[in-house]
Amino acid sequence: MKVVNLLAVVDAAKCRGCKTCERVCPVLAVRVENKKAQIDEARCRGCNNCEQRCPESAVAMVRREEPLVVRVDWDEADYAEIVALCRRARLNPEQLVCYCTATRAEEVAAAVLQGARSPEEISLRTGARTGCKVECIQPLLRLLEAAGIQPEPPEGGWQWYGRTVTAWEIPEDIKKKYAGFYFDEDIKLLDRVVNAPLQGRRDS
Amino acid sequence: MRPPIAPLAPRVSQYGIDPAYVGTRVSELPGMTSVPLTELFPDLPPVVFPGGEGVAVIRRATEAALAKVDMNMIKPEHSVNILASHHGFTLLGGEPYAEMLKTIKDVLETRTGCTKIRLRAGVGLRFRETEEYIKRYGLDEHFGDKAAGVAPVDQGIPIETEIGTLYGIKKVYDADWIVHAHNSDVREVHFHRQVDRAVKPFGMSYARIETRSTYHQNLGPRAANFTARAIFDSAFVQDKFAFASFLTVAPNGIIGVDADNDLYALNGRVTLTGCRYYGKMMTLFGEIDECIAALDFPCPVVYVFAAGVIYANFAGANTDLYDLDLPLPAYTWYTEAFYGVKGRPLLDDIPPLNPAIRMCVHNYAWVGYPSTFFSEHIPTVVVGREQADLFNRDPQNLTYMKHAVVAESTAAAMDFAYKVTGTAKVLVFDGAMGGINVSEPLAELLLRKAPAVNQRVEEVLLPKWLRQRGISR
Repeated sequence: MKVVNLLAVVDAAKCRGCKTCERVCPVLAVRVENKKAQIDEARCRGCNNCEQRCPESAVAMVRREEPLVVRVDWDEADYAEIVALCRRARLNPEQLVCYCTATRAEEVAAAVLQGARSPEEISLRTGARTGCKVECIQPLLRLLEAAGIQPEPPEGGWQWYGRTVTAWEIPEDIKKKYAGFYFDEDIKLLDRVVNAPLQGRRDS
Repeated sequence: MRPPIAPLAPRVSQYGIDPAYVGTRVSELPGMTSVPLTELFPDLPPVVFPGGEGVAVIRRATEAALAKVDMNMIKPEHSVNILASHHGFTLLGGEPYAEMLKTIKDVLETRTGCTKIRLRAGVGLRFRETEEYIKRYGLDEHFGDKAAGVAPVDQGIPIETEIGTLYGIKKVYDADWIVHAHNSDVREVHFHRQVDRAVKPFGMSYARIETRSTYHQNLGPRAANFTARAIFDSAFVQDKFAFASFLTVAPNGIIGVDADNDLYALNGRVTLTGCRYYGKMMTLFGEIDECIAALDFPCPVVYVFAAGVIYANFAGANTDLYDLDLPLPAYTWYTEAFYGVKGRPLLDDIPPLNPAIRMCVHNYAWVGYPSTFFSEHIPTVVVGREQADLFNRDPQNLTYMKHAVVAESTAAAMDFAYKVTGTAKVLVFDGAMGGINVSEPLAELLLRKAPAVNQRVEEVLLPKWLRQRGISR
């Protein structure tokens, strides 16, 4: 869940149409048309990426008059399915996957079960990956993969390139070669977390 | 008791409030004193900075260190990227690190005849932070406008490693050679645990989001440190790596400059000083039974520091951050992730945030790092509405203020903290150089505890820490 209180605004006089903003937007809210960036206000999740990477400093973040509340409503969902998907992705449903928006795996799983087919759609629905924009791409990709979805990165974009290795996929020869990195010990820890009892009402 | 040490002045930055709003520093309030770090630990190494010669000594130290480095692989027609990271600019005012970077460029030009030398300065989560530093320290002029900040969302490049494809920032690697220009300050011990500290930027400030997310979400708290090694050891990076130059740092200042063509040899030396000197300071901080932590430095909440120890590490000082047998410190992102919806850890053996921190007075610290975990679990008073508003506008901290209260002034915040906590011990994270600013009762406690801590680290803890890392003394 995220309360989106900012909106990107482009200064057309400064914009040179380089498309950096379009390439870094995690929810595909920016399109460059006629060499000018256009913001889709309904999609913008106020993450600052375009403002922070525009080489012309042509984007400003302004306060929204009416904040958007972005959340997935999973009250009617089958929570057992959510739990099963999270655990297939080797995540505890209550584990945080986005530190900035406090989005937990269960909300991302619910978004996927409700039809999100890409990290961009997950971000749009949950707000995850619209804070720091850095740390949470992998759990989103893991949850999509666990649901049998193989998303493609946005064409020409820099939003993301691919899922990377997890602890459980480190080859045995690497573990032996680099024993000082505690691979197996950390796998045990992560497995305990994945299977830890839930604290929420749905666990009772 | 000594007078407090003047802290670093507030900085103009898009990530902090206007310095005009920082009316009072915590160290200026009554009852505050300072303790030189060498009074706590007399065996701390001699420092070259701060000192009477200013940054001229850094230039000389860099030239001397580079004299032993092989640069024959770099030809006049080649291009070189000097790779820097944001954190160096927060050390002792930032000038020493900037001077090392300038000197590396000058020496490279003189010895190799190469003129295509660029500065690529990576960041953490504040994507324009090094752009600000490049201007502040005149690096744009020194590099002839060939100085650029790079961010983890910039265009990437795949790097094939022993554990599969990871991703770097394309602009970091768009030269024939790379020079790794870093520092040995430990900073995020809760993450790197002093394992491959010298290698870490290859998995972090030089890396794309996919790689950084691998580190923080996919591998586990200790195994994560393999991410940087996998990238650095890749054929792609090894073909470009020329040498490394490090500003070497201890809690009391800059020790010198170390340079090497062998990064792992340099890493071994960095590991020893990191464990010994910072380990003592962190172990001493772990002896504090109760205190008010005051944040007062131009950096995000987690990175403000006292005696070389950042607030994030003090928040875990109730555990031994250097002991690799301990899987999860009280604060890392893995730890934070493993708190369930009721605000309790999902596993019973996850340690709590340092219970000695009775309250946090946030007098001056920046946005640009997700910090809500701290205000959620440590009573926090933020000074000034302007600072509260800044946090409410930061996409990484939209709920920080939901768990904090606002005080009108520094004095009011401290009065509140003294009354509510009942403690008179105050530890100020203001980056004071050469010492720490504390309240008198805390100064007395630290001076009393330090000798035993020194002995315990030297005789018991340091041998264990080094053994765990395969380092001999």
